[in-house]
Amino acid sequence: MTSFALLFTLSAIGVSETVYLIRKRIASEKPICPIGGGCVTVLTSKYSKVFLIPNDVLGLLSYIIISFIAAFLVIGVEPMFVWISALKILVAVASLMSIFLTYLQWRVIHAWCFWCLMSAFTIWLMGIIIIVNNLI
Amino acid sequence: MKKASFHFLRVGLAITFLWIGVLIFKNPEAWGGYLQPWAAGLLPIPLAQAMIGTAILDVAIGAFLLIDFLPWLAALVGAIHIIIVLTVSGITDITVRDIGLLVAALALTIDSLPQEVLNKIWFVKKQQTQWMGQSPEIK
Repeated sequence: MTSFALLFTLSAIGVSETVYLIRKRIASEKPICPIGGGCVTVLTSKYSKVFLIPNDVLGLLSYIIISFIAAFLVIGVEPMFVWISALKILVAVASLMSIFLTYLQWRVIHAWCFWCLMSAFTIWLMGIIIIVNNLI
Repeated sequence: MKKASFHFLRVGLAITFLWIGVLIFKNPEAWGGYLQPWAAGLLPIPLAQAMIGTAILDVAIGAFLLIDFLPWLAALVGAIHIIIVLTVSGITDITVRDIGLLVAALALTIDSLPQEVLNKIWFVKKQQTQWMGQSPEIK
């Protein structure tokens, strides 16, 4: 229950963050870049899309699905094992994707985006919570 | 309110409303137990159904706040909702927490009110000030 609450909270933070980025992109405005100054460089690079779908949209969809799965698991919607498996697979894929995107910022784009890093840390934290929850 | 602090409060309150909604969905009858007998007696529908309706409202308020869509309206509805909760649940050990949430919702409402709504609220006052300033003999 506690781990689901944490996952739900993190996914909600992710939703608010990605919605902010999507809004800024649609309005063609620069997002606030609290730490570093490479947000625009990263967000407008050719790596900001995967198969024509912007990364922020993919992130939003992932966070929405994770929050729904966390809610289903708390409420007890059957079949539970399907939701747990889907959650693990989704967080694993998103974590690997985040590692790749962070590598791109570090080695290829040579600029750091605060929002992208925040999203990556959010996903990795979800992964840690799932791993720790399985170990205990 | 500073922009960043507003968003911190907005997202924090959104998560609270969303999570409470999920918990009510999980066990509506148990949450219905917080209602005072006189309030439960006023319900035209079964208690569980009323609590499911409350859960839907909580989730809707949370979702609106989370995506920053009409935050003033969501926070206002949230504040009214908390006032009703305080009224129907009576004074308990956790009342103080609800008061904190109420004030947070009111702070969000006040800070995110659009200019058109603000103009309407202050319209009478503004007109009175102009009227008093322009025609002192009428005073």
